[in-house]
Amino acid sequence: MTGARLHPFTLLAIAGALPALAWILTAPAGAAATAAVALVLTLTPGAKLTPGASPGSKGIGISQGWRQRLVVLRTAVLTAAPFWLFLLLLHDVPTTLAIGLRITTMVASFVWLVAALEPARLVEAMVAAGWRASVAYLLAATLSAVPVLKARAQRIVEAQRCRGLSPRGGVAARLRALRALALPLVLSALHEVDERALALETRGLAPGIHRTPLAPPPDPAVERAARWVLLLACLVALTRRFM
Amino acid sequence: MRSLKLEEASFWYPATESPALRGVSLEVAQGEIVALVGALGAGASTLLLVAADLAPRVTGGRLAGSVARRDRSGIVLPTPWTQASGMAFTVWDEVAFGPANLGWPTHEIARQVDRALEQLELVPLAARDPTTLSGGELQRVIIAAILAMDPGLVLFDEPTAELDPDGARTLWRLIRLLAKQGKAILLATSALDALPDVADRVVWLEDGAVRAVGTPDLLADVTTCDSGLGTSVATVWRSSGLPGPYPLTVGHALQRWR
Repeated sequence: MTGARLHPFTLLAIAGALPALAWILTAPAGAAATAAVALVLTLTPGAKLTPGASPGSKGIGISQGWRQRLVVLRTAVLTAAPFWLFLLLLHDVPTTLAIGLRITTMVASFVWLVAALEPARLVEAMVAAGWRASVAYLLAATLSAVPVLKARAQRIVEAQRCRGLSPRGGVAARLRALRALALPLVLSALHEVDERALALETRGLAPGIHRTPLAPPPDPAVERAARWVLLLACLVALTRRFM
Repeated sequence: MRSLKLEEASFWYPATESPALRGVSLEVAQGEIVALVGALGAGASTLLLVAADLAPRVTGGRLAGSVARRDRSGIVLPTPWTQASGMAFTVWDEVAFGPANLGWPTHEIARQVDRALEQLELVPLAARDPTTLSGGELQRVIIAAILAMDPGLVLFDEPTAELDPDGARTLWRLIRLLAKQGKAILLATSALDALPDVADRVVWLEDGAVRAVGTPDLLADVTTCDSGLGTSVATVWRSSGLPGPYPLTVGHALQRWR
């Protein structure tokens, strides 16, 4: 079963259980196992980080191919890499391994979750489970912020390139480009928050509403059981660790 | 029957001393189309936000005077890309986002969404990913999304800004149709040439206050044209030094020549 075909709660449970286990299990073996699982998950079909490449409601979960999966893996690895560098500078090798593998698990799990979880499916699933639509939207919007900001940053960089500011070159040039990117990225995102709040209000998304689930994703018994198993596994691991 | 009534409404945005609206009194009846015209910063968009109950409830700020609404309102804001829910795989889902938030039964949601898609000629795009649409297409989707919520009072802020001429003509026809169906329409637009055929009344705003109210003939008035708010025909007539009264439309100009 591919990541995007799993029920959103199952995706959340996996993405939550892996980092929890990484910190509970003894390092480096336990953390290495969870990091390996998290990194393999980034290569599962359905994970993608490209906004606008949504497969459409009939094609939910259809893989966009290995290229997209490799982008997810690369994003996870590149995000975790600086942590390894700092850990190496600050700690000895065993400690670096122990903490680095745990952080890698956290990063890879989150990147995989963002890539595999369709925010709209999460909203539908939460509304069907009785959550308030505004709370569901808040959580889903948070998870979708990464690809949205990435796309916005891409547009800003392209606009800046048109005006002669190249992000390529040496370290100094890249730092200059990063500084030039940060301000418009943050300011435009903040400005959009106000307009989006108005738009969502006028589309009926207000506190206290009871939204009709349009197409709640199926939640098979086996997945519900699997989520309980994950929770139990964390509890058992925690108990064994401290007993 | 009256759908919206503002009495001496004044509005201040947060942390501002001067009001964006000053003592505005205005009524919009069911089946009526009222157009707000004015220079940038005249207060038309703010008036729409007040009418939609978004200001000060969402924007913050302070409102004085009274605003009475009989019907549920829906507002189309001028930037379609910030109005998309971001929670839809398809145009159909995007249009259904609002009706679903109203808690309607699914069959009613489907009926309203299909009707709105037909009205905006969006049926061929129903399965498209909203993020792949052009600005004009997305604007039509957002308008459909508002209409699918079946508001009694429809507020448009520069509704044709993203549309090509064909799309704009379709929208003006739709607005007339909505009024015939009994909806109250309040719109702010700089597409002044369309108003003689669309609006029942024109409200000229200046510095947040109502400067004049009248039929679309107001757009051929000497004072209005002097302020840059005349129709193209009236403005050209005036610029040519031809004697008044200025014609409002090409048809009126032809009658004058003959």
